[in-house]
Amino acid sequence: MVRIPSRSRVAVAGAVVAALALSACSASEATSPAASGSGEPVVGGTLTYLEHQAYSSLYPPAAGFYPNGALVNNLTSRLLYQDPETLELEPWIATALPEVNEDATEYTFDIRTDVTYSDGTPLTAENVVANIELFGTGDTDRALIVSEAVNDFEAGEVVDEDTVRFTFSAPAPGFAQAVSTINSGLLADATLERDSEGFGPGNATEIIGAGPFVVEAEEVGTSIRLAARDDYAWAPASFPNQGRPYVDAVDIVIAPEDSVRIGALTAGQADIARQVEPQHEEEVASAGLEIVSAQTNGVNNGLSFRFDHPLLEDIRVRQALIAGIDREAIVSSIFSEHYPLATSSLSQTALGYQDQGDAYAFDPERAAQLLDEAGWEPGADGIRTRDGERLHLVVNEALPQPRSRDVITLVAQQLREIGVELELFQGDQAAQTAASADIDQIQIYHSMVGRADFDVIKSQYSIENRNTLQNADADGNPVDPQLEDLLQQVAAAPTTEGREEADAAVQAYLTEQAYVLPFFEEPQVYGVQPRVHGFLTESVGRPSLANVWLEG
Amino acid sequence: MSIAVRRPQQGGQQAGGPAGRRPAAPRSGTRARALRRIGQAALVVAATFVLAFLLLHALPGDAIVARYASPELGLSPEQLADLRAAYGADQPVWVQLGLSAWGFLTGDLGTSLQTGAEVSTLIAAALPPTLALAGLGFLLAAVLAVGIAALATFGRWEPLRRAFRSLPPLFVSIPVFWIGIVLLQVVSFRLGLIPVIGANAAEQLVLPVVTIAIPIAAPLAQVLIRAIDDTLAEPYVAVARSRGASAGWLLQREVARNALLPTLTIAGVLFGELIAGAVVTETVFARSGLGRLTADAVATRDIPVLQAVVVISAVAFVVINLVVDLVAPAIDPRLRKEVRA
Repeated sequence: MVRIPSRSRVAVAGAVVAALALSACSASEATSPAASGSGEPVVGGTLTYLEHQAYSSLYPPAAGFYPNGALVNNLTSRLLYQDPETLELEPWIATALPEVNEDATEYTFDIRTDVTYSDGTPLTAENVVANIELFGTGDTDRALIVSEAVNDFEAGEVVDEDTVRFTFSAPAPGFAQAVSTINSGLLADATLERDSEGFGPGNATEIIGAGPFVVEAEEVGTSIRLAARDDYAWAPASFPNQGRPYVDAVDIVIAPEDSVRIGALTAGQADIARQVEPQHEEEVASAGLEIVSAQTNGVNNGLSFRFDHPLLEDIRVRQALIAGIDREAIVSSIFSEHYPLATSSLSQTALGYQDQGDAYAFDPERAAQLLDEAGWEPGADGIRTRDGERLHLVVNEALPQPRSRDVITLVAQQLREIGVELELFQGDQAAQTAASADIDQIQIYHSMVGRADFDVIKSQYSIENRNTLQNADADGNPVDPQLEDLLQQVAAAPTTEGREEADAAVQAYLTEQAYVLPFFEEPQVYGVQPRVHGFLTESVGRPSLANVWLEG
Repeated sequence: MSIAVRRPQQGGQQAGGPAGRRPAAPRSGTRARALRRIGQAALVVAATFVLAFLLLHALPGDAIVARYASPELGLSPEQLADLRAAYGADQPVWVQLGLSAWGFLTGDLGTSLQTGAEVSTLIAAALPPTLALAGLGFLLAAVLAVGIAALATFGRWEPLRRAFRSLPPLFVSIPVFWIGIVLLQVVSFRLGLIPVIGANAAEQLVLPVVTIAIPIAAPLAQVLIRAIDDTLAEPYVAVARSRGASAGWLLQREVARNALLPTLTIAGVLFGELIAGAVVTETVFARSGLGRLTADAVATRDIPVLQAVVVISAVAFVVINLVVDLVAPAIDPRLRKEVRA
């Protein structure tokens, strides 16, 4: 289990990063930052950061896409800050944690009055309300979506010049965390006027936030240059660097081809590269670089079994699938130790996590027995049939997730052993997304979601959100109302204890019904040059570059 | 179609080569021919537009799905339907085709569904780097091809000639992707001669230009070698040789002229290769340009961008071949005769 420190001095951060490097079987302990003497941070220099894909939008609610999030996280400030290690909330633009009424339908924030946007305009109460109203309601005319993190938003109100209040039509216990996420990055008034096009590529220099960096130059699809904001002085209290960013500038260069990104990094042409695939980790480590793995604190990478499909209606079939898949073989053969085996539908570091024990044990004999009991008899070619119907299931390819195709290939081999035929749905992202909404096309859904809040489990499974289990009938009513009720309780319980209990109940129910099989806890993996110190990520693994400094 | 490769008949050669003086063809015949060719070219572009549009729309899922239905955003079906209406994606495909066609005719290429940027802006930004890459790549390919052809036919040592003769088939068989990766690994990552990241404008071009030039040079060299062989087999060359003409003189006076037309013709066809090469080269070298724009648009099903790229490629392809066809008679008088006949 590897995590990124934040409430710590740079020296400590360096030591932990060094420990990471060692645990990543790095051959070169002498080059780790702690060993090379992490003295006082050095101000100045330009950091070169290699990104896997070009950003598509800088509208904060669209920042879930990693290339977008990496920018928004460094360009904007938020009302609250979430410690990426403890996941606790603390003030940022707000001067204190919000006052919340008893049923969590009303939030009152006291905000700082000394913060300015990079265009010189002040960050005011009116501006904060305008931001949250846009994120809470969206604007279809401008093709601006509602933030996934803000539910049941009703209205925002300026109470006085440094107080704002937000009200909700139903309990919204996740709102405090929601305003700490990059999806709630605060924007200047002029930027809030823009439409979806105006947040797209080519406009980055005009996206104005109050974060530690500003966009200085943009070459569409190729590179973006961030410049440090000299007057940035409102970092959250626990953030190690309280002043302006240590580096003068960051060059974010898009290098979509894996071998190019990794080759350029190991050849010393870049300082940090995002998305080091497991098969490249050894190459990066043996070149003397650190592997930094940031947990994403949400629903684990895994399979959702769509129980409304006739082939998966029988719990014994779902149990057989779980018993017939050897997760350890998959994780140990094609991943690294940065991909810990999942122990629940939620990651161990997620809020509300409950260990599910041996619920996912590999036992092919039991799997075969369960399928026998369910009436599935082995056919001539080894695939089981019942009443002339083959046990043939289709799974999507989770294109944004690491090695989804390889995972599914291994799973299909394993399931073949117990007489189940698994087919990988072929197609690009649009085709995958379209088919995934149709239970007749995709019966098993491979996915994950990162968000450091109790709500994340509802985001994944509720019929109102991602609905990965396709738990809705033709009229939109839940097929399994008990599951939906449990998920609604996560969002409705106004207290932390209540939400913890609700999360635990959902995880237990998912296990009991054999609805899901989680594979591993998906990290964001970065390769970092030894001369780079103080590299941190926010709570879902996006880089926070204000604390980075370069040696010599 | 207008892209047919036209090669001159090898028979009927006369001493002095095909570029000898001949009366010009009557203007009216040339003009009618030119107009017919231009009409065909326009038809090809229009057909390409419609076909591309229908094929792109026939695929499952669309850009709205790709951009907004991604579970990452967690939008409800109602919100998606609203967005679909906002983008006009809920209208029948014929209406969308008509609107799109009208837009193209009036110079409005629409907006990218993925990024929201104006397609014309994206194309305007992507075109110059791709033109630089393709232009320089083509030049280098031409130089390479001439060099290979010269050495393969006039080389002083038989094994050398044979070695150079086998180069074009080899070049044709190597995937662009592989050339790019190997060049990067060796020249940039191992030897550290040219950085890929943080390189200046000139450095940025070196490896991509080499990468794209190699597969273009191969067919050019093959055509050149063939043309040189054919010319050298002509009796008038033997006569010139027997009178003491040097290899250089022959190459310049006889062979080059005869080889020009087939080379020009194949060059028109190779434009397609250049576009395909740009897609791969720009992705491998992390360059911006039309190829990269295409690759991204394919990945996100960005129909307006793809539509524009297809039409621009078709127009460029057709125009190049049209120019080749119209210029050919000026180079080779036999083609003028053919028209008149």
